[in-house]
Amino acid sequence: MKRFALTLTMIVAVLTLAGSAPTVQAQEVEIEGPLAGAPAVVGLRIYRALRFQVQLHAAMTLQDEYTRTVLPGGQLNFHLTDWLGIGVWGGYGLGLDTALTDQIVDKGQTNSVNVLSLPNRQLFAKQIGRIKFVVAPQLTFIPLRGKLGLFEKLFVDTDFYVFGGVGVVGLEERADVTAAKYDQCFEGGSSLPNSIQCFSQTATVRSTRVAIAPTFGAGLSLFLADFVAMTIEWRGLPFAWNTSGTDESGFSGGDFPDKAIDSKDYLPHFNHMMTLGFAFYFPTKPKISTVDLD
Amino acid sequence: MNLSFRHGVLTSRRARAVAPALGVFLALASVSGVAAQDMSFDVDEAESGTSPTSKEGGSKGKGKSGKKAGKAEAEAEAGGEAQAEGGMEMGASGGDLLSELTAEKTDDAATAEGGLAREKESIEKIYAVQRMYVLRNGRFELAPSLAQTFNDQYVSHPSLGAGLNYWITNVLAVGVNLLWYQGIESEQKLTFSIRRSTRLAVPITEYQLGAHLNFTYVPIYGKFEMFNDSIFQWDAYLIGGVGMLRTRPVAVIDPAVRTFDFQWRVAFNAGIGLRVFVTKWLSIFGELRDYLYMEKLENLEVSLSQRGEPSTWTDQNSKLTNNVTVSLGFSMFFPFTFSYSYPK
Repeated sequence: MKRFALTLTMIVAVLTLAGSAPTVQAQEVEIEGPLAGAPAVVGLRIYRALRFQVQLHAAMTLQDEYTRTVLPGGQLNFHLTDWLGIGVWGGYGLGLDTALTDQIVDKGQTNSVNVLSLPNRQLFAKQIGRIKFVVAPQLTFIPLRGKLGLFEKLFVDTDFYVFGGVGVVGLEERADVTAAKYDQCFEGGSSLPNSIQCFSQTATVRSTRVAIAPTFGAGLSLFLADFVAMTIEWRGLPFAWNTSGTDESGFSGGDFPDKAIDSKDYLPHFNHMMTLGFAFYFPTKPKISTVDLD
Repeated sequence: MNLSFRHGVLTSRRARAVAPALGVFLALASVSGVAAQDMSFDVDEAESGTSPTSKEGGSKGKGKSGKKAGKAEAEAEAGGEAQAEGGMEMGASGGDLLSELTAEKTDDAATAEGGLAREKESIEKIYAVQRMYVLRNGRFELAPSLAQTFNDQYVSHPSLGAGLNYWITNVLAVGVNLLWYQGIESEQKLTFSIRRSTRLAVPITEYQLGAHLNFTYVPIYGKFEMFNDSIFQWDAYLIGGVGMLRTRPVAVIDPAVRTFDFQWRVAFNAGIGLRVFVTKWLSIFGELRDYLYMEKLENLEVSLSQRGEPSTWTDQNSKLTNNVTVSLGFSMFFPFTFSYSYPK
């Protein structure tokens, strides 16, 4: 730990020194003469200002525990300026179970302690939580605009954007199991097989709800034509939900299990995803920036 | 399609620019044999009808006034001779024209005001080909970073990283990077939750450190403008290599008996990164890299007869493991300054 603390201290010191450097500005672009004071770029294709963006895309969630969600969908934006747009992002969720889910279906074990969480391992895939849709009104901010070159041959107009908004997430989760139901399944000192049968009836009962979450992210647009761009973006969508359909509330040494599946079992998850899409801009012809050097 | 081939664009531009220049060059070559690297234009030649004497002198773009045409002529002749004899030496007034051309700034630029002087200076600052913002060739790059494993839901593997690269060319570097994990890793709640809810144990792994030899190649570069005001240069790079990763299983199946020591594993790595230059010696980078290695996991079975035998604690089969890591850091180039080999 001492070594770690020392290393951390040194890094903080270096970062502090770097942060206190006199000026960290944009690069020293030495523009003199008639170009002094001129915009950085002249004759710029203004891809976004006063144009509609219609996008088709597919998103895939990352670092999922039990099910991976593929979200085919679309986006509609109107760009007020070349650097600010407003719109809606959406996708419909299709679930792909992870290897962990398959392992639990094959090898999960049930006893009197976890019978509520895993009544029947073969039903586990039907009790896990799934994202059914995402709709996100959002603002898009485009601070950087440029181009990239591949092997000094292929050049593509590019912009970098960040966005933020409110995510409306449709969820399907295992339905609540009340403490009364729990007691009912164990009523009269019921044997484990009887309890399993009783709880198995609850494993496949589903409930739906809508979670409201902040959403934010960043992406790149590669303009393949005046009206077509390929986009790749990362999106964060943190909210709490019960991904496993299990009883998560409480601690092993304390009040676990709490004998119920309900909102107390929603655990915070930093849900995030990558999106690949194609955006179409209307009108199809972008304006070209001009400059008056006088 | 805006996917354009720059070569084609440049060819047409070059054709327009080179045609008259070629004519002038041929005329000059026939007289003085002046080199073609001189890409600057003097207003006295270009716009004010410079005397034939001056043209013959080749006006070497040294930033000298056309009023010194006579002197320029003499210098040009000397320069032509020097070029012929000394290769890169070009005709400067007793000095090195190349050094002048590649100098970072000229003092007289700020003093020029209005009239012919300003016009002349302005044109001298425009070049056919803009030189690269940063040259890396022959420089060292020191890159501290913070990294986080991207694909392990069970154990969080943050690490402190440091890389040292030597740039063999402007686009190719060889280097090493070190990653330190021990002490800052943490087991995720998911593993506990799975054990508690399903009675299944997931074998997990702990890292101590990694040391890797890498090659870096920069196939993609570009620039961004911010609000049509500032320009940032950036590039994307490919990185790959081989190294060693020191890992050990975390005992979850039979933790009362089993303990594991760290072992070296051979790890191959490949990834992509993005670098944005803040200054000519400082950049910020983000990187996604996959470290692939064969991991020895804890044996899921406990031998009742040989429970205390360490050879039974690990699985006999190794498992191909991907450690996908995201890194963020900054890099510093040494020496801080560099000289351009060619004029702008």
